[in-house]
Amino acid sequence: MNRQRPFFLDLLAIRLPIGGVVSILHRASGAFLALAIPALLYALMLSLRSPQDFARVQAFFGGGLGWLIGLVALWALLHHLFAGLRHLGFDIGYGEEKIRARLTAKLAMAAAIVLVGGFALIGLAKSGGLA
Amino acid sequence: MSRQTRQVGGSHRGLDMWLLQRASSVYMALFLPAFLVFVLLDTPLDHAAWSGLFIPLTMKVSVLLFIAAVLAHAWIGLREIFIDYVHFLLPRLALYFAFAALYLACLIWAVDILWSVN
Repeated sequence: MNRQRPFFLDLLAIRLPIGGVVSILHRASGAFLALAIPALLYALMLSLRSPQDFARVQAFFGGGLGWLIGLVALWALLHHLFAGLRHLGFDIGYGEEKIRARLTAKLAMAAAIVLVGGFALIGLAKSGGLA
Repeated sequence: MSRQTRQVGGSHRGLDMWLLQRASSVYMALFLPAFLVFVLLDTPLDHAAWSGLFIPLTMKVSVLLFIAAVLAHAWIGLREIFIDYVHFLLPRLALYFAFAALYLACLIWAVDILWSVN
């Protein structure tokens, strides 16, 4: 291996480009969702089984830790979806130029955050938390 | 990395995996918004309305297809991660098989969940 190549490792100066941030979060959110599948199936089973179990699922995601877990899972799903759509675009040759790739990376990132933020605010408002 | 690891546990089936990853993603990306519209049309969402959505056979089948797409997509994605970070053949294969078994079990479980609604 060529060890003489230019080497720049100033940790305070180097930064992952936005495409890299979206990419690693695509992987992290995908891994999170993959591991969450059995729990999500369990929630689906409860929600369909009986009105009492439906109420349990609603209560779990309606507040506290369950609410936070739900928001994280929703963000993971949306980020993975938008970053994935961006990849489908690359596959058909859309957005491979640097400027457009950066723009769509920012859009994917922002869309997931804004949607989850909006969803959280609506939830808070409905529950009277913002009243 | 050994030749054995690359041949048995590596990415030699890259193209069909790649294609299945795209196909499943397209189905999920189309299904999710459509399903969301269905759910939102059915407000207020109580247990009767929610479980009622799953009574028609078309809904059961398209949801099961969605779950199958999720499981295939998740397994291929995890496989990519294992190829990147797990460099010994035995633990890598153990992870492949463990998640394949888990996800097959999930698929069978999903059939039971969906067909219990009537």
